[in-house]
Amino acid sequence: MTEHHDHDGHHHHPQERSAAELRADALEALLAEKGLVSAEAIDAVVSYYENDVGPQNGARVVARAWADPEYRERLLADGTAAVKEMGFTGFELNTLVAVENTPGVHNVVVCTLCSCYPWPLLGLPPTWYKSAPYRARVVAEPRAVLEEFGLELADDIELRVWDSTAEVRYLVVPARPEGTDGWSEEELARLVPRDAMVGTGLAHAPDTVGSGEPF
Amino acid sequence: MSRSDGRGDRLKSVPTALSDVDRALAGVAPLPRSNGELVFEEPWQGRALGMAVVALERSGISLVEFSRYLSEAVARHGYDPDEPAATAYYTAWLDALEAALAERAAETLG
Repeated sequence: MTEHHDHDGHHHHPQERSAAELRADALEALLAEKGLVSAEAIDAVVSYYENDVGPQNGARVVARAWADPEYRERLLADGTAAVKEMGFTGFELNTLVAVENTPGVHNVVVCTLCSCYPWPLLGLPPTWYKSAPYRARVVAEPRAVLEEFGLELADDIELRVWDSTAEVRYLVVPARPEGTDGWSEEELARLVPRDAMVGTGLAHAPDTVGSGEPF
Repeated sequence: MSRSDGRGDRLKSVPTALSDVDRALAGVAPLPRSNGELVFEEPWQGRALGMAVVALERSGISLVEFSRYLSEAVARHGYDPDEPAATAYYTAWLDALEAALAERAAETLG
C-alpha cells in the first residue's frame, strides 16, 4: 500500500505486487512444501471451475422431469425448490420458473432489459442472447427469429415469450423426444442442448446423439 | 468447536465441483460473481480459490466447516468502499484458509 521502500537500483519487481498477492504466493509455497497442494492440482481446479458451469446442470433437471412425473410436477410448481433438491442453488435472490413445451405451446426466453439468465443451470449466456437484435426481435417477431435458429413451428402452435428479470429466471422444459422409452436420466440428459432450454431449439432426436452437432 | 476426526481423507480424482462450493457458501459468503461469471480482479484470487479447494480436501476439512471460518474472516475484514469487492473477499478467504488449516494442525498435534 505505502511506497516506503526505496528500491532505487533494484529492478527485481517488474510490477507492483499487492500485499495480498504476495501473501497468497507465500501461503501456496508453504502448503506446497508441506505436500498439501501442488501447482498442477491448483491449475486443474481453476481451469475446471472456469468450465464447470454449463448447460449440463439444466439438462439433468430436464432429464429428471422427463423420467420422473412427480419431479416434473414439483419442477413446474416451484422451480427454485425443485432444482435445489438436485443441489443447484444460486436462485436465492430470484425465482426460477420452469415452463413446459406441449404439443400446442412453445416457450422461448429472453431478457429484454439486459442478459438475465438462469446461469446456475445453463452456464454463461451465449453472445446472441445478450445481443440487442435478439432481445428486441424475439418479442416483436418470435416466429421469424426462431426460423433463423432453424426452428419452424406450425402455425397452430402458440408461442409464449418469457421476459426474464432480476427477480424471475426461466427454464424451458422441451418436449421429450419420441423413441426414448426406458432411457436413463443420464442418457436423456445428452438429448438436451442449451438452446432447447432457452426455447430457440428443440431436444435432440435419439438417433442424432453422438453425431456431434453442437447447437 | 465441531470436529470431524476420522473422516474426510477421501481423495477424489475429479475436483470438488464448483456447485458444491457454491452450496457450502450459499447464504454465508458466496463467491463473487457477475451474471454468473466468477469475478477475479487479479489472478491470485483465482489461485486462492483453487488452493483452498485442494488444501481443504487434502486436509479433510469440509467446505461447510470452511464456510464458518470464511464468514468470521469476512466480518473481521470489514467493509471499505474503496477496496474492490473480490479483493476484499479473497483477502478474507486467505485469512479463513490459514485459520482453518492452523486449527486442523493444532487438533492433529493435540
